[in-house]
Amino acid sequence: MVVAFAILAAWELVTAAGVVAFRRPIYNALALVANMLGLAVLFLILNAQFLFAAQVIVYAGAVMVLFVFIIALLNPASDLTLGRAGNEWIYGLVFGVIFAALLGGLLFNRGLTGRQGASTPEAINAVGNVQALGAALYTKFLFPVEVASVLLLIAAVGAVYLAMRRIR
Amino acid sequence: MPPAYLFLLLSGALFTMGAVGFLVRRNPLVVFMCIELMLNAVNLAFAAESRFLNSLDGVVFAFLVITVAAAEVVVGIAIITQVYRAGRQMDVDGLDLMKE
Repeated sequence: MVVAFAILAAWELVTAAGVVAFRRPIYNALALVANMLGLAVLFLILNAQFLFAAQVIVYAGAVMVLFVFIIALLNPASDLTLGRAGNEWIYGLVFGVIFAALLGGLLFNRGLTGRQGASTPEAINAVGNVQALGAALYTKFLFPVEVASVLLLIAAVGAVYLAMRRIR
Repeated sequence: MPPAYLFLLLSGALFTMGAVGFLVRRNPLVVFMCIELMLNAVNLAFAAESRFLNSLDGVVFAFLVITVAAAEVVVGIAIITQVYRAGRQMDVDGLDLMKE
């Protein structure tokens, strides 16, 4: 398990660097697909099988297909024509180092403390991962789920409106 | 099982890389991908919380984050496509019409 985590962590860091650093948007998108698939396997290690499926279907499937489709539709080489924007990236790097140092100092060797719930992996696997999550979604978290469904509807209507609108 | 803080550190590292990309990159599509990277990092932290505190709340929140991210991507890409069709170049620094 530890070896798998080490390999996956390295995979995640490398592909995330690819998302940030590649010059062509299509390579960024492919690196992000690899990143999301690695993250899905990390969810499996964390005993979240439903999140694994949702990550693969929604993110690596639907969202990234949309990205790749739009990149193919628009100009794929557009970022190359922009050129390096002076030395702006140095400020980004300085910010990243400071932010990472703060986060690392905060999180290093610190466990997760808090009230332990009843959903141990054994208890979840006894009823099934999706069943346990569905029971939580439609009882304790019913209102957030309804709000999310309304949000999805609004987003779909908004996207259709934006796509139909004629630009002068 | 690796200790919990390793998952949180990995999540923090991914979030930092996404934030740096968000600040550095100028193509709006790549900026969007960096936002997705940050959302994914937070999802990892939520899933780790769920596993190590024996609670399903983190998984539910990660699921809601995935939902909101999908909605956000749909609207965002529609806007980017419209901006592109209006003849502007693919550069977030060029979109300063609302500055005046």
